[in-house]
Amino acid sequence: FLSTAGAAPAAARARLAGSSAADTRPTVRPKNEVEQKQLCAFGEYVAEILPKYIQQVQVTCFNELELLIHPDGIIPVLTFLRDHTNAQFKSLADLTAVDVPSRQYRFEIVYNLLSLRFNSRIRVKTYTDELTPVDSAVPVHKAANWYEREVWDMYGVFFANHPDLRRILTDYGFEGHPFRKDFPLSGYVEVRYDDEVKRVVAEPVELAQEFRKFDLNSPWETFPAYRPAPEPLKIEAGAKKEDAK
Amino acid sequence: QTTGLVGLAVAENPHERLRILYTKILGVLQNIPKDAAYRKYTEQIVNERFDLVKKETDVQKLQDKLNCGQIEEVIVQAENELSLARKMVQWKPWEPLVEEPPSDQWRWPI
Repeated sequence: FLSTAGAAPAAARARLAGSSAADTRPTVRPKNEVEQKQLCAFGEYVAEILPKYIQQVQVTCFNELELLIHPDGIIPVLTFLRDHTNAQFKSLADLTAVDVPSRQYRFEIVYNLLSLRFNSRIRVKTYTDELTPVDSAVPVHKAANWYEREVWDMYGVFFANHPDLRRILTDYGFEGHPFRKDFPLSGYVEVRYDDEVKRVVAEPVELAQEFRKFDLNSPWETFPAYRPAPEPLKIEAGAKKEDAK
Repeated sequence: QTTGLVGLAVAENPHERLRILYTKILGVLQNIPKDAAYRKYTEQIVNERFDLVKKETDVQKLQDKLNCGQIEEVIVQAENELSLARKMVQWKPWEPLVEEPPSDQWRWPI
């Protein structure tokens, strides 16, 4: 324990001293400061125009701009990004969802847009839980049709005003939403084989070996450089002193 | 003469069309409160392009000065901006934030 505590400041010193060497290593992508500044400026521009829906704007270290949106603002923000002259993001490259079960709104819907005029990409993220419907992006981008069907099929996120929301990848009578984190890897009813009934039947899954779950977490802290900031200590009001008579 | 793009016909008298579109956009923007950022920036863009359109009569030179693709594409951009302005008047996105997210919503890593 002492050795790791002593090695950490030494490693930090080496990182600071060797930062110029880190920039020239061929395996490290060189930082593109100009593009980072341009994306930051554009993110601030959009956040200034649409303060009603944009909750946060961030630029990753790989120069990817992300707008974090309230779910009511999907159609306004996507229409703005498609139609505005300074932001002609005409192409919807991808529409996916991310399941984080520990959050209150567990699903995070992600839209990836591409601007052909300005050669730039942007990511728009919203949130929802299992039962709240989300506005469909099909009136804005026709490409969202099958992507939203896939998100409905795999996660169970309902899209309001979608022209044709039905299953697209699972089998016809399949129950459940496979990409959710609580859906098991092997599924519930997967074993199918031809019977004396001379057809394919669905039965509860039987594994040849019992499922082995490996605990892959290392006992040491994974990212010491990215610890959350310690919460500031709050001073609580104590009992008031009684006036001495 | 051809634009080289599928579905976009060559526009005869593009200056007139652009003038009509830009005046319509500026008219729609009057319905937005003066301090809204959308109105400020869009008026800036539209006035810049409008001045360039008014000064330059040659189509080729106008395309080079605007530096935004062909004139027909510029007309399409103006039409999109007009429909966006009309929708913005209804949505009113300059108001303050609708709802704050839960504190752990955008935290990554979890």
